[in-house]
Amino acid sequence: MLKPYEMNSILITGPKNLQEKIIKELHKLKILHIVEHLKSELADIGQPLETTNKLSEIIVKVRSLITALGIKQEKNKFELKRGLLEINHTTKKLNEEVNKNFEELRKVEEQLSKNQNTNQELRILKNIGVPLENFTSYKSLAYFTGYLEGKNDITNLEKELSEITKNFMLFDSTLKKQTFMALFIDIKNKENTSNILQKIGFTPINFTNIGGLKGNAVANLEKIERQNTMLMDKSNKIKKQIEKLAQEYKGFLLTADDFLSQELEKAEAPLKFAATKDAFLIKGWVPTENLNNAISKLNKISKDKVFIHHEDAKKEDNVPVKLDNKGYAKPFEFFINLYSLPKYKEIDPTFFMFLTYPIFFGFMLGDFGYGIVSFALFYFLKKKIPKGAALFNILMLSSAASIFFGFIYGEFFGLEEIGHFAIPHLISRSHGVTELMFISIAIGIIHVNWGLIAGFVNILKEHGLNHALFEKGSWFVLEIGILFLLLSYLNIIEIIPLIGWLFFIVSLIMLYKGEGIKGVIEIPSILTNTLSYLRLMAIGLSSVSIAVVVNDMAAGFFHKGGFMILSGILILLVGHVLNIVLGLFGSFLHSLRLHYVEFFSKFFEGGAEKYSPFGAKE
Amino acid sequence: MAVELSVGLIAIGSGLAVGLSALAAGIAEKEIGAAAIGAIAEKDEMFGKGLIFTVIPETLVIFGLVVAILILGLAG
Repeated sequence: MLKPYEMNSILITGPKNLQEKIIKELHKLKILHIVEHLKSELADIGQPLETTNKLSEIIVKVRSLITALGIKQEKNKFELKRGLLEINHTTKKLNEEVNKNFEELRKVEEQLSKNQNTNQELRILKNIGVPLENFTSYKSLAYFTGYLEGKNDITNLEKELSEITKNFMLFDSTLKKQTFMALFIDIKNKENTSNILQKIGFTPINFTNIGGLKGNAVANLEKIERQNTMLMDKSNKIKKQIEKLAQEYKGFLLTADDFLSQELEKAEAPLKFAATKDAFLIKGWVPTENLNNAISKLNKISKDKVFIHHEDAKKEDNVPVKLDNKGYAKPFEFFINLYSLPKYKEIDPTFFMFLTYPIFFGFMLGDFGYGIVSFALFYFLKKKIPKGAALFNILMLSSAASIFFGFIYGEFFGLEEIGHFAIPHLISRSHGVTELMFISIAIGIIHVNWGLIAGFVNILKEHGLNHALFEKGSWFVLEIGILFLLLSYLNIIEIIPLIGWLFFIVSLIMLYKGEGIKGVIEIPSILTNTLSYLRLMAIGLSSVSIAVVVNDMAAGFFHKGGFMILSGILILLVGHVLNIVLGLFGSFLHSLRLHYVEFFSKFFEGGAEKYSPFGAKE
Repeated sequence: MAVELSVGLIAIGSGLAVGLSALAAGIAEKEIGAAAIGAIAEKDEMFGKGLIFTVIPETLVIFGLVVAILILGLAG
């Protein structure tokens, strides 16, 4: 409960021809945490098994198919029947089909976009009755197509052109605000016409997509519409086909991905081992409770031809940590994982957090009604998001604590009395501020000293009594000194202040010896850390105050009666929802911060590696 | 309801004590917090140390709060 699982270091060495068997067995056992070997003068790292290349090839294809078909990760129960060969064969076949479908889809979409462009041009030519095949290069004709500024320009243009020649045909149509015109004129007058058109502000347009089309624009528009409908149908059909493929092969692809990842993990394992020409060496950690089982299995599979050596964890080792906590405290490992894992020799604070976190949370939220609402909320969220079960369990426990504190404070949605019935309470939050202050500071003193004791024990185990006394014991002496000083100056007990000062100075000396000057600088921190617990009172007070204000505002509206009752209910709803959100956030964050900063800083070092056994899935 | 000038001034003094020290702590923690988040984004283990560094200026607020309470207390 206060210590992680016990670990033994293990060394496995044997001839290269047994490497694959050992890897397979270790993967099945799922208990070895491998310590990677770094290339050194003595030994290089091993070569991956031969199947690695083939496996990598196939897994890349499988993963690209998963992405192309848009398959999401989910639980599936597909069973692979014949292993690697089947996967390879099916993947190749599926790949070809999927590629064929995507290629067809691409062609359809290309055609659709081309049609889109043609449509745009045809719409411009719609109202001009000129057959499309006439827009081509001639030996004796030139034509101009483009926009003019206004309708008047057409008449002007006609007039000007008639002055040059009578051999021209001018077509125009008005589109929105501009006039579109098509002019066919004798090629001899091409240049003059250009000049005239430029003078009146003519913007030419080139039609690039109507080459090869015959008949008038309207007919072609209809033809393209029909073609578009066909293409859309085809595209939908192809998309449905791809959908069908995705559904059919979803299970296969996900299971294949899984299977191949596992195989790849085994095939690449030798990269973590030390290797010579003919032998391999595996170093790692195994939980003590699994040690004998592992050794016997390995010996069996290798017919006793590998050499296994194991020892207890030594002081300087960097031992991987697997937290050991009973079911009721296990959710709180979430907080430890969030911060940092305790070193192998340290105390595991999960159980401590299980005891104090809900109390702090409840102290701050402290409302019977809010507690019930949040409990229901987290229960519901746990059903919806099973992955966050640990966090929601913590929050549900904390909500239960809030309900309990709601009884102590006698608060129900901020109300201290319903009608004329006053809810029984021990302390009233809105009226007993000073009492709450003292209680918060008392909690602070207890919690900080709890941390100091844990720190004392940690250092005792690791460095011995001397270090422990000077590094942590000095704080206790300091506290006794401050206590005596306070008592004597406030004249509560008959003691000369000198004793208090003596303790104070002794503690300073001890602290300097234990931690050096940086320890002495930290002396004010004991005051600030303890006073930090005042936030327990402050946040609780703010929560209550907002609730009381919301209730008062709503009561004002209710008294006015009639339509105002509706706004009263609205205010109640919005106000209390906001207050709950604020209260949940605040309580969650500040309880956590009190633990991480004020509590952990007294004893916690952390930074240990997490125990991740070979073969276990995340 | 009318209060004496002295009472009002005491209240202002108390409020200023807490308010200004909170402002100071906010300004201090602003930069530290930003740097801490940058460090955590690169290396997850920095979370604990980053958090502790960020909340070190809290002592400013606590001193302000103590002074505010003392003012209210001494003034009666």
